[in-house]
Amino acid sequence: MHALLLLALGAAGVLWLFAGLAFRWSAALALGIALLGAEQAVRLATGRSSVDPWTPLYAAGLLLVAEFAWWSIEPRVAAWSEAEAVVRRLLTVTGACVVAGLLAAVVVLAAGAPLRGGVGLELVGVAAAAAAVGVIAAVARRPVRG
Amino acid sequence: MTRTATPKLGAYTALAGLGLVAALVVGRPELAALAAPFAAVLVVGLSLAERPRLAAAVFELDRERLMQGGTVEATLLLRTERPVGRLELLLDLPDGIVAEAPNPQILQLGWNERRELDFTLRCERWGGYRLGDFVLRSQDAFGLIVHESSFERPAPLKVYPCGEALQRLLRPLETQAFAGNQVPRARGEGIEFADLRPFVPGDRVRRVNWRATARRGEPWVTETHPERNSDVVVFLDTFLEARQQDEGTLDLAVSAAASLVTHYLQEKDRVGLVSFGGVTNWLTASSGVVQLYRILDSILDAEIFLSYAWKDLDLLPIRALPPRSLVLALSPLLDERAVRSLLDLRARGFDLAVIEISPVPFAPAGPGGLDQLARRLWLMQREALRSRYLRLGVPVVEWTGEVALQAALEEVRRFKRHARVARV
Repeated sequence: MHALLLLALGAAGVLWLFAGLAFRWSAALALGIALLGAEQAVRLATGRSSVDPWTPLYAAGLLLVAEFAWWSIEPRVAAWSEAEAVVRRLLTVTGACVVAGLLAAVVVLAAGAPLRGGVGLELVGVAAAAAAVGVIAAVARRPVRG
Repeated sequence: MTRTATPKLGAYTALAGLGLVAALVVGRPELAALAAPFAAVLVVGLSLAERPRLAAAVFELDRERLMQGGTVEATLLLRTERPVGRLELLLDLPDGIVAEAPNPQILQLGWNERRELDFTLRCERWGGYRLGDFVLRSQDAFGLIVHESSFERPAPLKVYPCGEALQRLLRPLETQAFAGNQVPRARGEGIEFADLRPFVPGDRVRRVNWRATARRGEPWVTETHPERNSDVVVFLDTFLEARQQDEGTLDLAVSAAASLVTHYLQEKDRVGLVSFGGVTNWLTASSGVVQLYRILDSILDAEIFLSYAWKDLDLLPIRALPPRSLVLALSPLLDERAVRSLLDLRARGFDLAVIEISPVPFAPAGPGGLDQLARRLWLMQREALRSRYLRLGVPVVEWTGEVALQAALEEVRRFKRHARVARV
């Protein structure tokens, strides 16, 4: 049953990714990536309680898929297809994925540390998550200076 | 300057938020590890996003005037104070000008760097242009935020219409008093043989025709035609045009006007221009190269300006239509005001010839039977209008642009050969 659910989530994620690529639809790509992440969440929730050591690889892979997907649906401009621009972009994406894997590894290692914080630590985590999203939203909405 | 978030920014924000919330709900830190890279990309990308800044930009064209179909070299000199990683530069061109080099271009500029960019621009359509509108666009490394700004370094460019080569021009019925290349009917000092007549006291001895004198036994003199110029007015109808996509009757009229003006001025005739339409312009007749460029510049301003105000020839000053001038009208004969004005010209005694820039190719018939019938009626109305002109002795020739303009002029000449001016 769990296997079927995981298969369904994964297939749905891939289908939405294909739809996003075919119709150059950003929301479909986001939904596809989210469904692939949801598949991982269900697998973790129904699996063993110990930290999954393969998480950094999944994180790097997910970011790689996302970067390539959004790159594919960008408008076709002749200047962006020049060899130098393509190589530069590839190096940026590769570097980002490597750093993503390392960051995920740090998070996983930190999660594996024997800390007992109780409700207080959980509240700190909630606040940190909310603050992270809030910072991103604030930076994105920074006013334009002429 | 505008700053726009791409859809990717919203998507990554949603994914990062969902991952963090899911980590809290499910209680698995791995989900936070999956969300962390998306959040990190957002923070890094947004922090590195900055608007493009240029210290200086100079735009120049290698010339200000050229003929339709020609190319002009443009140079843009950029200077930056701070490095720019990835800058897209677009030369915003008006319709009718096409860049042969890649446009937009991607640039990377370092500290205090000067960069010279060359553009080859092909001018496909006549007209007056102001080039030099640029758009700068920069994105952060991850394509989350797009900064776009524009700057202008206006440089004027005049593209003159290409005319056809004409072998023979229409000649007016009467010439003017100044020297030119025309042979009038009148007799005077010249080199073109006119007639022989007996010598009368006062004739110059160099005029004596010795061969005729020897044959007849008494002095005979040669009479010649003087070389005179003529006045020509090109009458451009700009009330209405028929147009399909990139070409219309106004383009054909402008091209024909440029050909006629160029050739008549080469023959030392005086040429004037009347652009009669929603906006009425005129140039009094004159000769020379200066007049040629004056008229071509005026032609560039010709455009269809929709107006319902009634206009007639009383708007024009007398000098715009010199007496005894040949008026060559280039008109699609679509607007009643233009039709009546041309009839008025004929009534005032002007030597008028109408080259009808046919709108028929630009108005194809519709698919239905009613459309076909309406089109046949329209064609018959146009035929009746032409007959009206012909009855008044005005040659009207339908020209579609597919045949040479010379053919239309020959048809006018054939009509005038068989027609005579009736003075009543």
